[in-house]
Order: sequence, then structure tokens, then C-alpha cells
Amino acid sequence: MSSYHLNRFLFDLKMNESVFKEALSDFKGAMSRYDLTAEEKEALSSGDPRKLRPLGAHGMLALYLMRLHPDFRANIYWAQK
Amino acid sequence: MPLVSAVAASHAPNILLEPGSECEEFMQLHYRMAPQASSSKPSVEVQKKLRQDAEKAFAVLRSDLEAARPDVLIVVANDQFVNFFFNNIPTFFVTLADEVKGQFTRHKFHYKNHKELGRAILRAGMEKGIDFSYGEHVELQHTQVVPLYFLLPEPKIPILPIYVNTWVDPVPTPRRCYQVGELVREVAQQRGERIAILATGGLSHFPGSPRIGEIDTKFDHRLLEIMREGKGRMLADYSLDQLLQAGDSEFLNWMVVLGAVGDIKAGSTFYMPDHIATGWGFVSWKLF
Repeated sequence: MSSYHLNRFLFDLKMNESVFKEALSDFKGAMSRYDLTAEEKEALSSGDPRKLRPLGAHGMLALYLMRLHPDFRANIYWAQK
Repeated sequence: MPLVSAVAASHAPNILLEPGSECEEFMQLHYRMAPQASSSKPSVEVQKKLRQDAEKAFAVLRSDLEAARPDVLIVVANDQFVNFFFNNIPTFFVTLADEVKGQFTRHKFHYKNHKELGRAILRAGMEKGIDFSYGEHVELQHTQVVPLYFLLPEPKIPILPIYVNTWVDPVPTPRRCYQVGELVREVAQQRGERIAILATGGLSHFPGSPRIGEIDTKFDHRLLEIMREGKGRMLADYSLDQLLQAGDSEFLNWMVVLGAVGDIKAGSTFYMPDHIATGWGFVSWKLF
């Protein structure tokens, strides 16, 4: 099965500020806008990028999930592309 | 006229990040994929020494590049989900924009784009069976601007970004990338401009992988040795697996430059593993 929507959600967390902001305030609501499986939603909700790779997420996109983590929200990674 | 200069350099973001907190913050994120890798964290002094060594290598490349007095610099690099996503991944892409911009932390970059040369490469490719994708807008990212910060900090000449997909499976073969370089060399010979070429990326590293932190220095040294011997042609026979197993997928960008320089020996080579993630490599070929 394609992992397109999982990768798209991760991509948007870095590249689309409105998706990022919505995910911060309402993670489930943000996920609901994407065609994700229950397994993908569960892995995303765990906050652990290592759980996303086995589901087909690109390794670097998986790390974009960390933008939602309080310890990484201001990380310099988001100030560069 | 023949290409006037060729250089290749790593584009690892930590080359341009400040040693200390910026570098460490950046790597903390990557270590979330492979916590075991954080045990090899180099001290700030080691990070500073690495930055100094990289600056010295870049100074040699820049000196060679400037001595060749190029009118345009082709920049062969990979996109990392800035311009291309899974809805459309071009294997090879030529930029036909009027200008190109990008930002890396506090550093801003703005160059004219040599779209006439881009169009000439596109047309030549179509005739020879290499069907590039193309587009009129791209945003530069670290894969271009980290080396450009050191090699072309002022936009004195236009650039021409060419993208190779090294980032999303499946990627092109080393041989195909070499052939793209041969095409660039042929186009350059028919043009009046003094054309230089830069490839970026590598060397060994495993971004976004549980293997992050591994650096295949033996493989990287062998690549550099082959370039010093002027035998880049034999790297076209390498399998993709050989490159990917060593974490050298971005060497596909370098393969384009190897096709462009042919059998000319690399003049200067530098190598420094950063103890974090990447074997930094820097090479210059004097073509005049």
C-alpha cells in the first residue's frame, strides 16, 4: 500500500505552517485531513519517528514529526532546508 | 569551449552551522532515529577544527574555480523534499528560472540562473536520449547553498542548478549519471561561455536511517583514490548497491562531474569524517 498520505502529512508538518499549527493544537484533527490508516495514526501519535519507517515513511520525513515535540520545536533544523 | 573548472564538495549542513550549540542541536534531532549514534559526539574543539579544515579545503577549490574565470557555474545537487515530493520526483531536472533564491538559517542566497545554458543542455539531451525534466522555479536549499557559501558567496556569475534524484528510491545508476556528465561536457564544448561545474553531497552518510553515525571511510578513500588516478570512468561500472551500502547515494551527483571531466585526474582532494554522520569530501580538477 502507498505511504503517500503518511509522507505528505510529515512533509506538511515542516513545509506548511498552517498544518504545523493545527497539529500543535489539535493533532487528531490535523491527521483527519489526511487519508491515513489506523496503524499510521497510532504510530504518529506515539511521537517516535522510528515507528514510521516500517510503515513506509521516508527516514528524513519521519524526523519531521519531531517538530511537534516541545524539546525540538525551536530546533535549528527548521530554520534551514 | 571546453569546461574550464570542475569541483565537488560535501553539502552537510553541519559544515555551515556554528560549532557548538547549533551543530549539537541539529544532531540531537537526527539521533532520534538512532540514539546509539550520539555516543560519538565530538567536542566543540574538534568541531571547530573540522570547520577550519573544511574552510581550508574550500579555499583551494575556490582559488581553482576563480583562476578559471568562469562565466557560469553549473551546480549538480539533489533535492531533499523542497521542490519535489512523492507526487512528482524527476530523475534529472534542469532549472529554467530567471533567478534562484534560498535561505539557510541567517544566510540568504540569490543568484541569476543561466537558463540559456539550461535550455541548451535540455535540447541536447532530448537529441541524445536523455530526457530531462525541467521547470521555471526552484528554491535553493542546503544541498546547493552550503558549498556556494564558501565557493561563490557573492553572486558574481549566474549558476545553473541541475538536480539528480539521489534521495528517493529508485535512483538512477552511476552509469546514467556519468552519461549526463558527458552530455554536459559536449554542450560546453559547443558554447562560447566559460563553464564551470560543481557537484555536491556525500560522501558516506546515512541520513534518516538507523545507520546514521556510520561512515564508510574505506570506501570514501577508494573513491578519492580513483579520482586522483583519473579513472572516474570505472566508477560508472559500480553497481548502485555498492554506493548505497556505503552510504554514498549522493555520490551520484559527483558521477555527473566525473562524466564531465572524463579521464582528467583530480588535482586536489581532501577528506575529513565529521565523527557525527558524514565523510566530508572536497575535490578540484584543474581543466586548464
